[in-house]
Amino acid sequence: MDFLGFLVTECLNALSQAALLFFLGVGLTLIFGIMRIVNFAHGAFFMLGAYVGYTAVSVTGNFWVALIAAPLLVGGFGVAFELGILRQLYRRDHSAFLMVTFGLTLIMGEAIRLLWGVAALQVPAPKSLSGIVFILDEPFPIYRLFLICAGIVVAIGIWQFLERTRLGLLIRATAQNAEMVHALGTDVRLVRSAVFGIGCGLAGIGGVLAAPLVTASLGMAPNAVIDTFVIVIIGGMGSFAGSLIGALLVAFVQVFGTYYFPDLALALMYLVMLTVLVVRPGGLLGKEA
Amino acid sequence: MNTRTGFTRRTAIRAGLAAVAAPALLRYARGETPIKIGMPLALTGPAGEIGLQMRHGAEFWAKQVNTKGGLTGRQIELHVEDTAGDPATCVRKAQLVVERDNCHLLFGMVLSSEALAVVPKLADWNTIFMSSDNGDGRLTGSSFVPNFFRANISGPMETRAISLWLRKADFKKFYALGMDYAWGHNSIDVFSDEVKKAKKDLVGTVFSPIGTTDFSTYITKIRQSGADACFLVLQGDDNNAFLSQAHEYRLSDKVQLITSIVDLNSIRAVGDAAIGLAGSTRYVFTIDNPANKAFVAEWRKEYNALPDVFEGEQYQACQMLQAGIEKANSIDADKLRPALETAAIDSIKGHVAMRACDHQAVQGGYIVKVEKVAGAKLPVPQIIATLPGDEVTPACRQMTFDS
Repeated sequence: MDFLGFLVTECLNALSQAALLFFLGVGLTLIFGIMRIVNFAHGAFFMLGAYVGYTAVSVTGNFWVALIAAPLLVGGFGVAFELGILRQLYRRDHSAFLMVTFGLTLIMGEAIRLLWGVAALQVPAPKSLSGIVFILDEPFPIYRLFLICAGIVVAIGIWQFLERTRLGLLIRATAQNAEMVHALGTDVRLVRSAVFGIGCGLAGIGGVLAAPLVTASLGMAPNAVIDTFVIVIIGGMGSFAGSLIGALLVAFVQVFGTYYFPDLALALMYLVMLTVLVVRPGGLLGKEA
Repeated sequence: MNTRTGFTRRTAIRAGLAAVAAPALLRYARGETPIKIGMPLALTGPAGEIGLQMRHGAEFWAKQVNTKGGLTGRQIELHVEDTAGDPATCVRKAQLVVERDNCHLLFGMVLSSEALAVVPKLADWNTIFMSSDNGDGRLTGSSFVPNFFRANISGPMETRAISLWLRKADFKKFYALGMDYAWGHNSIDVFSDEVKKAKKDLVGTVFSPIGTTDFSTYITKIRQSGADACFLVLQGDDNNAFLSQAHEYRLSDKVQLITSIVDLNSIRAVGDAAIGLAGSTRYVFTIDNPANKAFVAEWRKEYNALPDVFEGEQYQACQMLQAGIEKANSIDADKLRPALETAAIDSIKGHVAMRACDHQAVQGGYIVKVEKVAGAKLPVPQIIATLPGDEVTPACRQMTFDS
């Protein structure tokens, strides 16, 4: 394997990983931007996405159905949770959200264990995507190229949605000054529910997309939630572009860090986070705390 | 008047109750309390799958023994506690079953780190611990305690089985990937030692943190190393993620993947991505001997499924303990220990004999290769080599081999 081939393959690997991380990070950051809460259950929504995806694939035999069903169901569950429980807590202290969302993680983990069992479940990639292509004589999975494309499409989609649609405008306005939006006659509570649902739905898509790589398993939630927090902290809480940059940075550091310094594989990501926090305490694109 | 009035419903109930209670009362009168066995197991957390298998295996055995009238006439009672795979919790739960439930026999535990934390307490608790799963060589080496017995094949033994097989195989250059904790390091140390003795090359070693989800970089490293075979010490979610992704990159076209554990759960989770994987297995349902055939048949009848690795290993450990108890006719640690030290069984894995010097059960090592079998939905591990127990078991209290 020559150096150019190595570099290109590893960059593509990092991009595909960044795409998965972005699906998680962007949801978490949107929710934080609007609601000022840290959703500890985000990893659990990601995991739920993978399990719903498994069921959809095994019932219909079609991965694309899973890709549509999972975000809808997971997002719907997120909205229900916001309406039923979170809404009662907005007047409370922030620690209430930590407790409730952390509790939800535990409950979802156990519920998934009861419904789907403990064994890891296979979610095969669709036939059309499970082949390989040769890039500079190196075999590269088509599925990972698909992940990169999906990441780009969703990133552009969210960006355009935030910039050009009325709901996007309301989301940005609510993030800046919720009281003013409310005073202007918009029901801020509906905006919050919508954002929570969208954030969870994105985590759900991430879960389905990750499942062919890691299988649907109970370890998904804790693994995902830590990476997601790192991304959002690096990028800046509440910043859309920040979550994109955070995902790319974490993915590249993980891929190249693991290659050159395998013994520090785990530490490098946190070193980057610490450096960012020392230089810019609010994250790269976040508001200064 | 009816002539049968003397036999009222009430007397019938009394007679019935007496009939039901009599055997229990008789046993009680003879001092035959149940044999209580504590099982602190990781039932939740990343290793939960293994813990559930072990519980399953033990329950199957207990049911089998109890329906045949018990062990030395006493019923088996299992006391299972969840440790979540945390050594501190495991010690606490083990203490709980010993002190609260009065169990002086222990089965389990899932992780070697848990077992290593528990063994120093066994003497104080006056409790015998029959391991069915713990792989760390130190348990029968530097951390050996007299109340610990290992019925299963240890990590160094599994690795030894693979290395003996590899000596004869065509591979020249190896790479090794292990999980970054005690088991991974321990197994790869032994493997590297073995590769040297076989006069072959270990061209690189890398450890992945527990919970790694993206293995693409590790796969690149393996490909670049030019190795023709890669030795894997991975389990659970990490193992499934690696196999799925190795399949994505068609790694096994270039490199023979060799794993220290081939288990059915992993094959179920990754499907065809497991094809071609070779490795030692602690137990596989395809082992060809009468005891195993009977076990598999009975297991299928009971659960309508095939017994998996840790279910089989647990069953073997149960039988080993059973042989000891039958011989000692007691569960008292001081009487049971010498009986277990010379216990031997014709197990589902063939002849298995406990060794007095370090309490390691001497047993054969099995090498399997995962193959697609016509008619079967999932690939099946087929035995490609069996290595005799005296060749795979290290010298007493040792973890490495001289030759």
